[in-house]
Amino acid sequence: MIEFSPGTIEMIIRSVSVIAAGLALIAGVGPGIGMGYAAGKATSGVRRQPEARGAIVTTMLLGQIISGSTGIYSLVIAIYLVFA
Amino acid sequence: MKYINNPDRMQIEIIKRTYLVSSLPIAYSLISGEFETLLGFVFGLVISTLILRLRVINIERSLDMEEEKAETFIRNRYFIEYAIYLVVLVVARTNPSLNFLAAAVGLFMMKFTVIMWVIFDMAKGGLKNKLQEYKDLKEDKSEKGGN
Repeated sequence: MIEFSPGTIEMIIRSVSVIAAGLALIAGVGPGIGMGYAAGKATSGVRRQPEARGAIVTTMLLGQIISGSTGIYSLVIAIYLVFA
Repeated sequence: MKYINNPDRMQIEIIKRTYLVSSLPIAYSLISGEFETLLGFVFGLVISTLILRLRVINIERSLDMEEEKAETFIRNRYFIEYAIYLVVLVVARTNPSLNFLAAAVGLFMMKFTVIMWVIFDMAKGGLKNKLQEYKDLKEDKSEKGGN
């Protein structure tokens, strides 16, 4: 059986937690893609029906507030892992 | 909420309600003397308010663009916001006078408020519908009784 020194074990844990933090940050990419897609569709919607601009902006704003916080979840986890 | 079609009014309503809901944790941390929590929470709250304003400006700008251009623009702006969140959270984690979790909750507060607002509206609408159904049923019964 291989035995590691405490320093090596600490280094392994540290490197694995940094890798995990990097993987957690991937979760922040999804909302960006989704928000961009929604913005594109909103633009074409406003072009089709200019009088609905206000309603489209407010709906998009609420959607962005809700979806944007998913990225913050991943950031919180990543920072916890890095500074642990 | 669904009747607000003016983005500026919606923005003000969201900020007003978020600060109203946030007054509870602020009051609690003031009473209990946890000033790190208070500072962290206020820090997160202020940043989330500023980012809301930034979002409205970006959305307004994107609506005058082409579809593909708007898509790229909002995606890029989201990553800038993401970097701002990263900086805020790292500052809250490294600074001993700020509570990290309180800062994170302060950033989330806007989302919590919007979700609570929607649930409250739904409950209110459901209650109103039930009351209307009950009134209609009562009127039907009284009409039948009268005949």
